[in-house]
Amino acid sequence: MQDVMWLVRHTLKKTFSNKKNILLYFGTPLIGIIISLFVYSGSNEKNVHIGVVNNDPHYITNDTIHFIKGLEHLSVTNIKKSEIDDQITSGKLDCVLVFHQGFSKSVEQGRPGHLQIVSIHGAEITGFVKSYLYHYINNISALGKIANGDERTFWQMYERYQQSPFRTSVHPLKDTSKNIGMTYQTIGYLLMIMLFSAGSLAEMIVREKENRTYFRLLSAPINGNKYILSNIIVNMIVMTGQIMITLVMMDQVFHIKTNIAFWQMAAILMLFSLVAIGIAFITVAFANSSASAGAMQNLIVVPTCMLSGCFWPADIMPTFVQKIANFLPQRWALDALLKLQQGHSFGSLYLNLLIILAFALIFFLVSAYKFGRNNNVNNFV
Amino acid sequence: MNILEIKNVTKKFGDFIAVDNMSLTVAEGEIFGFLGTNGAGKSTTINMIAGLLRANAGEIKILGKNISKHSHFAKKNIGIVPQDIAIYEDLTAYENVKFFAGLYGLRGSQLHERVEEALKFVGLSDKHKSYPKGFSGGMKRRLNIACAIAHRPKLIIMDEPTVGIDPQSRNYILNSVKKLNEMGCTIIYTSHYMEEVEEICSRIAIIDHGKIIAEGTKEQLKAIITNTKDVWIEIKPMETIDLNKIQSISGVKAVQMEENLIKVSSDISVNNLNTIIQCLINDKVEIRSLKEQSPNLETVFLTLTGRSLRDH
Repeated sequence: MQDVMWLVRHTLKKTFSNKKNILLYFGTPLIGIIISLFVYSGSNEKNVHIGVVNNDPHYITNDTIHFIKGLEHLSVTNIKKSEIDDQITSGKLDCVLVFHQGFSKSVEQGRPGHLQIVSIHGAEITGFVKSYLYHYINNISALGKIANGDERTFWQMYERYQQSPFRTSVHPLKDTSKNIGMTYQTIGYLLMIMLFSAGSLAEMIVREKENRTYFRLLSAPINGNKYILSNIIVNMIVMTGQIMITLVMMDQVFHIKTNIAFWQMAAILMLFSLVAIGIAFITVAFANSSASAGAMQNLIVVPTCMLSGCFWPADIMPTFVQKIANFLPQRWALDALLKLQQGHSFGSLYLNLLIILAFALIFFLVSAYKFGRNNNVNNFV
Repeated sequence: MNILEIKNVTKKFGDFIAVDNMSLTVAEGEIFGFLGTNGAGKSTTINMIAGLLRANAGEIKILGKNISKHSHFAKKNIGIVPQDIAIYEDLTAYENVKFFAGLYGLRGSQLHERVEEALKFVGLSDKHKSYPKGFSGGMKRRLNIACAIAHRPKLIIMDEPTVGIDPQSRNYILNSVKKLNEMGCTIIYTSHYMEEVEEICSRIAIIDHGKIIAEGTKEQLKAIITNTKDVWIEIKPMETIDLNKIQSISGVKAVQMEENLIKVSSDISVNNLNTIIQCLINDKVEIRSLKEQSPNLETVFLTLTGRSLRDH
């Protein structure tokens, strides 16, 4: 085992003596976190810009505008009627509320009208503005109906309504969907980076063959199995580092709450690292040069990551694509993490774990078979 | 004792027989020349000795132990200097030798001493912190040798160690081979430069189509193709000279004279040069130059294989 560790030390030293590789192997997993942060940042806090044209200067109209101004995630600007088209088409405003003359009177009489909403965004924006506005105006117009044209009675009820003595306490529920989405996306990117890292480290085997050092190694008291084992160990060390850095950074620095126990997430990712090594060995076993190994890795890793939902949720993909994804190991790793986030116990995920392990086993067997048939020592001496 | 014994070894690649029932022995302390054209089976044989390929039949022994059963022992006692330079360009000379020596189980101060010793031996001590990227072809070849000898192997296999380098580095390497041999190492040496093999090898085997077609000392090999050696003697132009006296000297087969050149053909096994010269001196013949011509290794090789090494 000492000779294997000698090889491991050599490979690690040789790889990381180039400082760029430290950044490449341990910095890139953080890109996944940053991308998901970027994608999900402020997605629930979009501000809607509303313009108001007040052609009915009355206390009911003024209070209605005041009510709108008090709503969260809305910014309200007073504009002139002539500015509507410019402001809407230039995108400065999402919609404009035009209070025509007679609006207050119509509300007071219990028949609200003389209000116009102008927007080019459609229901996406106008829907929730309408909803709040209708709710408020309906309440006022209900007072008008009860007052039945008696201005004094309406005024008294309106005053009390505006100064409502009761208060409601608000306990907002935290939206965990954002954290779940960020976790999913970060881990999706991490899986891809793990696959590329394993590919790059395994590619060293081909490079050693190309510069003939592989055969000098094998003429020493080291056999092929020990050499491959040392590469697996190096791969595991690097990928363990990537997993730990990503998980710690997610939790401690970026405060992304994954809703999964640290060890459970680490265990699934470590299991996946075996798959990553298996895929990398297959490309190396079938490639006859480092360039072709790199090309094969790109051809395998990127499409399978896309199909299995590493970059976006698998649910949004067509059904037949989702069925194809079932034949990809990334899908099962991501599915296991999603199930853990949904509250499944780790033990109940045995099927996912067994499938991931089976993928790793198949990849290792195929590459071992191919390595065994590669008698490529010709021209060494 | 024989350091290497190859007995009835055959290696096939599909239907192609690369090595065909080969048998060969190399004794301890020899510099053994291994000659053959490309594709003759030389590399396959060396790969099998180095443990990189398995023979289909027969056995190979290093220091009396079968290499398939005692692979670790065999590999520890062998050092390979491959034809293609096998070093890491991104490691220093010291780190290269240290890494490869470490594969043989050397550690700590012993490893450091052996690395320094190997670098000193190949004349790269002052370059131990330099990267091979900046080395000349000759320096890289010397580093290639250092990586193979740091663990002090008993048998060193050198394949074309002087290919593509300047005469100075070539001379340095040839002297190193002799020095390693003096230090007790057995060397198996292959080269396309016949004069190198002729200069340093004590015994030579010629391989062709996977078989050893000739084996022995230089003299034994030369004797295979001819038993005659010629001596050309340039003399001062004279009116008459009695060639019968020379003809009667023991071993002389024929004497011819063309202008002022006398050609004496003798039996290769008889050393009669002194007698021939004495005979001419007695007859008051003035000798101006003398040249002995016997077949060289290239002639032997060409005659036996029908092909020149450099043609391949």
